[in-house]
Amino acid sequence: MSALHIRDLHHRYGLTEVLSHIQLDLFAGETLALVGPSGCGKSTLLHIIAGLLTPSEGTVEQDFLGTACVFQEPRLLPWKTAQDNITLGLKALNVPKSARQQQARHIANMLGLTVDDLGKYPHELSGGMQSRIALGRALIIQPDLLLLDEPFSALDIGLKLELYTLLRQHITERGTGVLMITHDLMEAVRLADRIVMMVPDPGRLVGELVIEHPHAERTDAWIYKTTADLMTNNNVRIGFGLAQGTLDLPEHAHKQHSGCNI
Amino acid sequence: MNRLKNFIPSTLNYLWSGWGALASLLLFCAAWELAAEHYGALILPGPLDVIAQLQQLISSGIAAPELVISGRRTLYGLSLALVVGSVLGMFAGFSITTSMLARPLITLLLGMPPIAWLVLAMLWFGLGDATPVFTVFVACLPIVFAGAMQGTRTLDNHLKAVAQVYRLPWHMRLTDIYLPHLVSYLFPAWITALGTSWKVIVMAELLTTSDGIGAALAVSRAQLDTETTLAWVIAVLGVLLATEYLFLEPIKRHVERWRMGVSQ
Repeated sequence: MSALHIRDLHHRYGLTEVLSHIQLDLFAGETLALVGPSGCGKSTLLHIIAGLLTPSEGTVEQDFLGTACVFQEPRLLPWKTAQDNITLGLKALNVPKSARQQQARHIANMLGLTVDDLGKYPHELSGGMQSRIALGRALIIQPDLLLLDEPFSALDIGLKLELYTLLRQHITERGTGVLMITHDLMEAVRLADRIVMMVPDPGRLVGELVIEHPHAERTDAWIYKTTADLMTNNNVRIGFGLAQGTLDLPEHAHKQHSGCNI
Repeated sequence: MNRLKNFIPSTLNYLWSGWGALASLLLFCAAWELAAEHYGALILPGPLDVIAQLQQLISSGIAAPELVISGRRTLYGLSLALVVGSVLGMFAGFSITTSMLARPLITLLLGMPPIAWLVLAMLWFGLGDATPVFTVFVACLPIVFAGAMQGTRTLDNHLKAVAQVYRLPWHMRLTDIYLPHLVSYLFPAWITALGTSWKVIVMAELLTTSDGIGAALAVSRAQLDTETTLAWVIAVLGVLLATEYLFLEPIKRHVERWRMGVSQ
């Protein structure tokens, strides 16, 4: 089974330590949500996993075949139409043009974009549409590892729910491993199999919650309740800066984090 | 189909915008006429006289060969500068070290008066075609180089990250990421270089060669013929305007069609 293993990872920008002693495992078919306040190093960790940054210390091993990344901003190429943006990864894989166009139309349909939208340039599209195109650009290459950096934060609630469904469908069909960063605990509870909490100064992983409840049975009521329970947890409140105090955490002695609670 | 639909109105729009340019040129001619009436035909002939003189030069078959000779020299020097400057500038822009090394050199080259290059070129190449061609090349090179380097340096890191994550091969990074961004910096540099090239060629010809527009200007100066002098100047400016607005600008509009509505 494909997997990602991070061991003893430290990262510094100059003299400032931004990530400290990170240990993380992610297996195929698993969705891991990384939650934590702004500036705690979540994006830096994601960039290291995506291969955009080299960590100061530690190892990142992964044997996933294809990796795709959806960044916090859509990051579309302004000189390419929506269609050419979506199919960028396919073009890099030498997929012929007709096949690219066909797949782009298919994925655009799933994302709620019209054929007319596909011919437009990014500046002619709304922010929500740009985010959808960025997601389409990632999904179209059928990655085994999907890295998501708050891709849904600019979307309205209706669209979010549609894209959650689409993403879950993709994960179930493909067995994709997903690492998603989010501020939104409810989003994490809805989508993730494991939630890992990160705190700043320096950025470190402080606890993990495994959600064993099957995805098919996660009703809105269950999600609201679980999120509310989580929000009352003292460690979570301290982690997000909602309460004063020090985190009361068990030591992480074992290698694979599979059940220690926040 | 969609592109064709956009193409027709944008072309008509472009042609229509020519009225503004024409109006401003005619306003200039009116001011010129006024000045001509004040100073008299010996010092400053009016625009109509100059245009008549130019027509006469063209119909008598004097203008065309000189224009072709000067045009050919400009074309050689300028194309060489555009190709070499764009490619080298882009490579320099890829690394911070080369950019830092190149910057003072560009300042140096930009500050070097073309006339100094001309004197050196005369010593190196003699009085043949090579002298004006070299002078144009060396005067335009730093302009294009600086544009290309600046363009490469300013590419958004976010887009570079996209290219890396989606594993774009080097040729795609060039054609899909770098070049479309670079064009916005290259075109203004190319247009400046075009203007410089004609200025330099006329000067170089005036001092070194026996043919071309510069040489013709030298003759008309010797004969104190202001009308013919101005007619040659008008001919050069006409070629310059035509190259920019009938050749470079349409290409720029085509390549940067994605900008339509962004910054206009």
